[in-house]
Amino acid sequence: MQAEHTLRKAGFSIRTGAPPPEVRTGCDLAISVPSQDVNAAEKILKENDIPILDVVFTFEEELPPLQLSQLVKKVDFGNYLMIRVGNMKLTFEKKGGIIVNISGGGCPDIPLLGLKMVGKPLDKAPQPNEVGYTLCAYTLQKAYEHAVEAWKKVRK
Amino acid sequence: MEKGEEIKMLLLTGTLPIEEKSLLVDKIKFDGKTLYIGDKMFGYDMISIGATAMMAAAATTCEALQLEPPMAAVAGDLGQGDGSTLLYTYLTEDASSTGASTITMHYILPIRRGFMEFIEMLDYWEKRPFMIADAGSMLIAKATGSCRKFDLFTPDAGEICFLADPEAGHPAYVKSLFFAIDTTDVPYLIQEAYKYNNAPRYLLVKGPTDFIVDEGKIIHTVSEPNIPVLEPIGGTGDTITGILSALIGGGYEPIKACLIAAKANRLAGQLANPTPATRVVEIINHIGRAVKEVLDIL
Repeated sequence: MQAEHTLRKAGFSIRTGAPPPEVRTGCDLAISVPSQDVNAAEKILKENDIPILDVVFTFEEELPPLQLSQLVKKVDFGNYLMIRVGNMKLTFEKKGGIIVNISGGGCPDIPLLGLKMVGKPLDKAPQPNEVGYTLCAYTLQKAYEHAVEAWKKVRK
Repeated sequence: MEKGEEIKMLLLTGTLPIEEKSLLVDKIKFDGKTLYIGDKMFGYDMISIGATAMMAAAATTCEALQLEPPMAAVAGDLGQGDGSTLLYTYLTEDASSTGASTITMHYILPIRRGFMEFIEMLDYWEKRPFMIADAGSMLIAKATGSCRKFDLFTPDAGEICFLADPEAGHPAYVKSLFFAIDTTDVPYLIQEAYKYNNAPRYLLVKGPTDFIVDEGKIIHTVSEPNIPVLEPIGGTGDTITGILSALIGGGYEPIKACLIAAKANRLAGQLANPTPATRVVEIINHIGRAVKEVLDIL
């Protein structure tokens, strides 16, 4: 997630998706850059102390895209709203925007995000992409973004 | 112990969200406020989503039923995989000496090589342990085609559609048609998971209705008491995994253990009178009573 942010900021044309099947572990994420930009991308990631796990050359169409926008459900619990994206759930209290629970996922950064985010209002909590490293955290980031949007609507 | 009696030992393994990266292997105890792993203490705030909830639930169940306390193998990991690597190494190189009869693998970063080395090493154990996986360990089992090396998975809605989708490498990649039915047509998803060998012999699918499955056949469903507000509470799936691990580790037959765990988890939730803002630790404190009550009526 940090690599995505850094490369985008540096002006690279990138795409986020699943790593090729032969190197995929389940909770990892790949960033594709045009092959002519690989060296420059590696350089900028190293300069920003972002480790590269592997570099794989593949055809772009072999990287299945993430379509998390199609994996969203909302459950209204009265004073609370639960946003579910894929396997991650974030629930907040409508009035104050306080994050009251985070559920789901399977990687070590999710319990950490639970400790850091629960009990804080949506606009003051650290965002998953600032703290997390895994695809579960990336998915939680999308749930967080949906929650922020939903909270804005509730406040209107 | 009688001569020839089988040794039963439950080993729970997962990462903790702490800076300290060293490996810790010791007995687990939970006193209602603090989780102890040996002398190391984890306070009330730490009993949350993940391995701490699973371990506290297992320890509570063991204590209520006067079973041997479970053992933990844990390491700190903040998501970069260092603690997870330590765990895979321990499981591969040292865990066989514990003689664990049941192992539950939980929040561990999926690292293909470390995971596969351990799974292959299991073939060399004197007696293969009963293998349970939840959370990240279930993801890597599917990603490596190793689901049949396990005995029991405990997927929730997001995870059963992931197991059902043969092409998904993570719940974030499932086809939207699977996602759309992940609480409404669970029997179909179960069927698909078995069709592609992406399920072990037993499944306990957690959701509005819990499904207990043996080789694709639904043996029990549990939907009462129905407490919808348990869904948003982080860790309520982990507590089911903890309860059933304790029961299987204590010698209960897997299907019966799943049934007791599914019912007891709901009952503990009901006893806590929860809202979506309830913390899982408040539910864990009712698990001992709930497990006993369920056993009394079964």
